Amino acid sequence: MPLLFAVVSGSLTGIGISKFRGYAWSPPGFRFVWLIFLGFLPQWLAVYLPPTRHLLTDAQASACLVISLVLLLFFSIANLRLPGMPILLLGLGCNLAVILANGGFMPLPVETAHNLVNQTILDGLTVGERISSASKDILLPEAQIILPWLADRFVPPPSFPYRFAFSLGDVFISAGAFWMLLKGSTVKSF
Amino acid sequence: MKKLINQTVFFASKINKTHLQFALMVVALALLVLGAGAPEDFSKVGR
Repeated sequence: MPLLFAVVSGSLTGIGISKFRGYAWSPPGFRFVWLIFLGFLPQWLAVYLPPTRHLLTDAQASACLVISLVLLLFFSIANLRLPGMPILLLGLGCNLAVILANGGFMPLPVETAHNLVNQTILDGLTVGERISSASKDILLPEAQIILPWLADRFVPPPSFPYRFAFSLGDVFISAGAFWMLLKGSTVKSF
Repeated sequence: MKKLINQTVFFASKINKTHLQFALMVVALALLVLGAGAPEDFSKVGR
């Protein structure tokens, strides 16, 4: 959800600025766009699609996640010329690094989970295991996390109504996507 | 039935190619950020 917010707000801001300046706005032209769909497919089956995600073991889901990220990494490298893509690639690299370093899932520190949910929900989770079959995160104590600063350790301010944990990589990905859409391709409209 | 097909063809011909490309690119970028990112929102816990 927070990542999609970057896409929606980037599109609206890009369109708004282009209209204000009298330019026609169009989204960035991707090369090898099929790589996104191919790359998202394993993750869609392993994390997002309810009938299939329950069928996969954690090891299979983790393999799907890593394959997915590697394919998306190839796509990002192939489109590095686009504005914002280097920032997005940096974020993807951060997330891939911390996921690979921690057994194939994004680590979520127990201390961060304490700030997000009440004790009842926390009691239902097991340290060292995946949060749920719909999650890319694994619950780990801070001391056991490799590359802890790249983990899902940040939370929005308490006044923010939507509670979630995010990583430094997620921040770069959102910023890169926003910048890409903000710059877009502008053509002078006559 | 023939009327329905004619109407479908008529509306399909009205779809602007640029708008279609726009939608495809935005969907592709949404999938890219969803796939690359890994935030945890806890609303999915227990599912």
